Amino acid sequence: MPEAIVILVNPLGLHARAAAKIVRLANEFESAISIVRPNRDRHADARSILGILELGAKQGSELKIEATGCDETLALEALTQLIVEGFGEI
Amino acid sequence: MNSRIGGVIVSHGQVANELLSAAETVVGELAHIAAVSIGWHDDVEAAKGEIERAIKKVSNGRGVLLMTDMFGGTPTNIAAMFIKEKEVELVTGVNLPMVLKLATTDGDANLAEVAKSVEEQGKQSIYRTGSLLEIHKTV
Repeated sequence: MPEAIVILVNPLGLHARAAAKIVRLANEFESAISIVRPNRDRHADARSILGILELGAKQGSELKIEATGCDETLALEALTQLIVEGFGEI
Repeated sequence: MNSRIGGVIVSHGQVANELLSAAETVVGELAHIAAVSIGWHDDVEAAKGEIERAIKKVSNGRGVLLMTDMFGGTPTNIAAMFIKEKEVELVTGVNLPMVLKLATTDGDANLAEVAKSVEEQGKQSIYRTGSLLEIHKTV
């Protein structure tokens, strides 16, 4: 399963509107996508705003994105870019 | 898009409108959820009429979930008059995660199942955050 490790760079961390952006982007793909916070052993479905919020990730937190499915590589690239670019907030 | 289970937030003062507005800021326009704010001095019959109109507005044939601010309060007591099996369910103690839960629920779950998941989401989303701080120090 392709996965990527990213560091949250935006000052507000994984807040509600950022989580909503992840969900909107994830919904453009077919693959199953998870956002994982390895250091806290927490997993969230990338299509669940509330699940992502409960990761409690802040600026500097490490996140792992996992994707499985027909467009897993594209999904992983798109989500990585969104997070690495700070959700367009910085 | 398939028709969705509707929602009506009912509260004292402007809480309902503001909760809906906050949810829409996060996930975009929510045509299947309405808000009814009952003024402190509003007439019960007028409030009842407003809730009834809101239910009709969001109803798509799959049922409507009423979410009120506080068990035992007037908004809840008025809203409770509309409870009808398989058509209208009521969950009290509405908070933003509950509204977001309903906002992001689609699929085939029936009204009773959705009402239960919204209730559970509301309860699960309350944390005494101080107890999490130690964990949050680890990035």
